[in-house]
Amino acid sequence: MEEFPQGLQNSKDFSGGDSKKCQRTVPCQGYFAPQRIEEALEILSRYGKEIKIIAGGTDLLVQYYDRLYEINNWLDLKNIKELKEVKINKNQMIIGAMVTHTQLESSEDIKTYYPVLSQAAADIGSPQIRNRGTIGGNIVNASPAGDLLSPLMAYDAQFKLQSNQREMIVPAEEFFIGPKKTILQPNQLLTRIILPLPEEKTYGCWIKIGKRKALAIATIILALVVKMAEDNKTVKDVRTCLGSVAPTPIEIKEVRKKMAGKNFNQLDFAELGQIVEDKISPIDDIRGTREYRKDVAKEIMINALEEIDSARRERNY
Amino acid sequence: MTERYVGRNVYKVDAQDKVMGKAKYPDDIYFDNMLYLKIKRATHPHAHLRRIDISKAVKLPGVVKIITADDIPQVKNFGLIIKDQPVLVGIGQKMRYMGDALAIVIAETKEIASKAVRLIEVEVEELEVISDPLRAMEKDAPLIHKDGNILATHYLEKGDIKKGFAEANVIVENEYRTTFLDQVPLQVEAGVGIYDEESGFIKLWVASQWLHDTQADVAQSLGFPKEKIRIIQPVIGGAFGKKEDISVHIHLALAAIATKRPVKLTYTREESMIAQSKRHPFIIRVKTGATKEGYLTAWQAEVIGDTGAYASSGPAVVHKGMYHCTGPYNVDNVKGVAYTVYTNNTYAGAMRGFGTTQMAFAYESQMDILAHKLGIDPAQFRLQNAYNIGSSTPNGQILTHSVGVKETIKKAAEIAGWKGGLR
Amino acid sequence: MSKLTIGFIINGQKKTIETTTSTRLLDLIRDDLHLTGTKEGCGKGECGACTVIMNGELVASCLILATQSDGAVITTIEGIGDNECLDPVQEAFIETGAVQCGFCTPGMILAAKKMLEENPHPDEEEIKRGISGNLCRCTGYQKIIDAIKLAANRLSSKNGGRSEKDD
Repeated sequence: MEEFPQGLQNSKDFSGGDSKKCQRTVPCQGYFAPQRIEEALEILSRYGKEIKIIAGGTDLLVQYYDRLYEINNWLDLKNIKELKEVKINKNQMIIGAMVTHTQLESSEDIKTYYPVLSQAAADIGSPQIRNRGTIGGNIVNASPAGDLLSPLMAYDAQFKLQSNQREMIVPAEEFFIGPKKTILQPNQLLTRIILPLPEEKTYGCWIKIGKRKALAIATIILALVVKMAEDNKTVKDVRTCLGSVAPTPIEIKEVRKKMAGKNFNQLDFAELGQIVEDKISPIDDIRGTREYRKDVAKEIMINALEEIDSARRERNY
Repeated sequence: MTERYVGRNVYKVDAQDKVMGKAKYPDDIYFDNMLYLKIKRATHPHAHLRRIDISKAVKLPGVVKIITADDIPQVKNFGLIIKDQPVLVGIGQKMRYMGDALAIVIAETKEIASKAVRLIEVEVEELEVISDPLRAMEKDAPLIHKDGNILATHYLEKGDIKKGFAEANVIVENEYRTTFLDQVPLQVEAGVGIYDEESGFIKLWVASQWLHDTQADVAQSLGFPKEKIRIIQPVIGGAFGKKEDISVHIHLALAAIATKRPVKLTYTREESMIAQSKRHPFIIRVKTGATKEGYLTAWQAEVIGDTGAYASSGPAVVHKGMYHCTGPYNVDNVKGVAYTVYTNNTYAGAMRGFGTTQMAFAYESQMDILAHKLGIDPAQFRLQNAYNIGSSTPNGQILTHSVGVKETIKKAAEIAGWKGGLR
Repeated sequence: MSKLTIGFIINGQKKTIETTTSTRLLDLIRDDLHLTGTKEGCGKGECGACTVIMNGELVASCLILATQSDGAVITTIEGIGDNECLDPVQEAFIETGAVQCGFCTPGMILAAKKMLEENPHPDEEEIKRGISGNLCRCTGYQKIIDAIKLAANRLSSKNGGRSEKDD
């Protein structure tokens, strides 16, 4: 190895030793990492479109690969502790926008009340991505294939948007308006995700089809949530939400009409699958053709209904 | 020696360095005062370069120099088998795929180099883009290189193909297509170069699969004596055929000569996908005959290999693919033809298997289809046709030792729990 | 792009360093600190070659801005084991032949180490999930899984570590 230049082995200087806690407050020009929401909103109102909000960065740094220099100002939300909390408030679950996929996946409350969301988070990317990527980032990025979006719609999520002028709460369904497009204004921050606590006999199923088990951008996503009546047989309400089949995550409302008030035992799963297939108009892209997506949509709808059926039968009330 | 090593596990010599993160791959090498390169690539897959304007890019603070073809009139084409690949495409010359290099940007940082690349303006006169080798083979197709789009034709003949088909009770004829594949070694193309003015040596730290071939090719392209080119092999982060071809080497050398400073060039993964070699997509047309007892009598194959914009290892890969048209099965009568064809796709070269993997898709499919038609268990059908010691391959080689195909089939069937029968 | 100064602890050493708002943590680690055991394989978070441990979490350093690491505690492969005493995971990788080209190895070892910290007795599926963010292109996954099993066994038994030194 004599051909290697001197100085290459100097990495020794930084090796070994014990980790101590290192705390510094953050500068400075071009990069802001405030500790409070109000400060963040203040910075946002000052810079508007001239600043980029960064949460986990797992989409943003991919998008700006090799041209990060185009971004002059960063607003990093990493120090705002209240955005990292998952808590129950009366009959609502409040999830901070900076909650990571790992947090979602490992939260017992999320697992209990929103298993579809929990599983969706567990299926995102890889450990490295789940440790950084956040629910808020996933929502604001608004990819048609965003893993958490269909489950959030299926659980009737609402988003809290704040600016230093006012705050508003919008249903998930109204938030997404196109691929990577939302109603969020440059001076607004998505701060919290609000989910109603589900009724007791609520069942859910999560199906994601992708090319691999890890690091797959979904070819098609189904989040199915069914609320049963007291008898655990009669369908009270249902949400059939799909991803990667339209410019935004969508709900197939026709399924609601078809299932509401019916006895689950007497449902025609194939017919319901067919409704899903008929009501979507996906495009051909690198991950799958329109035809493939329509075929698969039907099949996964049938599978999801079967899974919910067996979960329902296993539960004794 | 034998007592120490034979029959014992030996740890990989560089494993300790690798688990500690100490092993030095090309991009891990740093010199003081080092400059970074980025390449301006083609803006169209098939076009004449009419104008290249670097004026805005050179003015960017931190840009040290930008090299275009005008600056290096003496530099010659390179290539593994045929010297058909330009180092830089000049005015009036053609870009033949999206990976062709138009300019070398040399800057103080990677970021400045990236910015500068985006400031280079290019005007082209677009030509018909040929992405399908069948179109390239048509008489009226525009020529990608002046000597024709069919770069090489190879023939194969063994026994009497007419007699073979006459003896067959069942004949199966099909066309198979395989796709481009990137080898995706985890380490992308990267290297560091220095030019020592006093001795006239160019030193390149680049992971290469064929050091001496690379040395000779770099030397002939630059017009340097071979002994003045030193290719130093750092640790390679995978190659799988992709690092047989020249990538960063000549650009590094030119930049080092021009600036007299150490230079580094590392591709992005995207650039590696666009600019560096791929597995050849094949169109394979096969006609196979067998007796009703399930013995192969005739095998005819036409192989069309898309070698993309440049030859690389193409003629050898496609040629070798054809030689493997029958797989590991005995056939007395074989006829084949193989065309290596230029297109405007990313050039194809070596990748694990070197043409044989594509063929396996065709011949194993033929075997299954034949077995099905004959009503014979596909494992049994393979066994009764498989090579033995003494078998002769389509190109007439007599196999004298190490023929394990029957054992392999039996073992594979056993592990897969194959119960026999038809599918 | 602005310049600014940040501070963090890397492999136990406190560092203060000038960086820019367009520098990734990966670039800082490699180009400024020359800790080149952390690799770039794709730059898009797909391959895991750039894996480091930051604030106790496995992360892809290509998807983190250098400025975001201000105040963080970071461990790279250079902070694991040393010439005298390799980490049991590193030893197991050598012994089982889990190292081929070696480019994925640092990230793979960090992923394995982190997983074993959280789950000392992983089954094969859990191991696969633990290293699912790390690609190996020499396709030595089986050996890597074997290595992690071996390390897990050694770490959970009293006399962990290799008894004989490899020489």
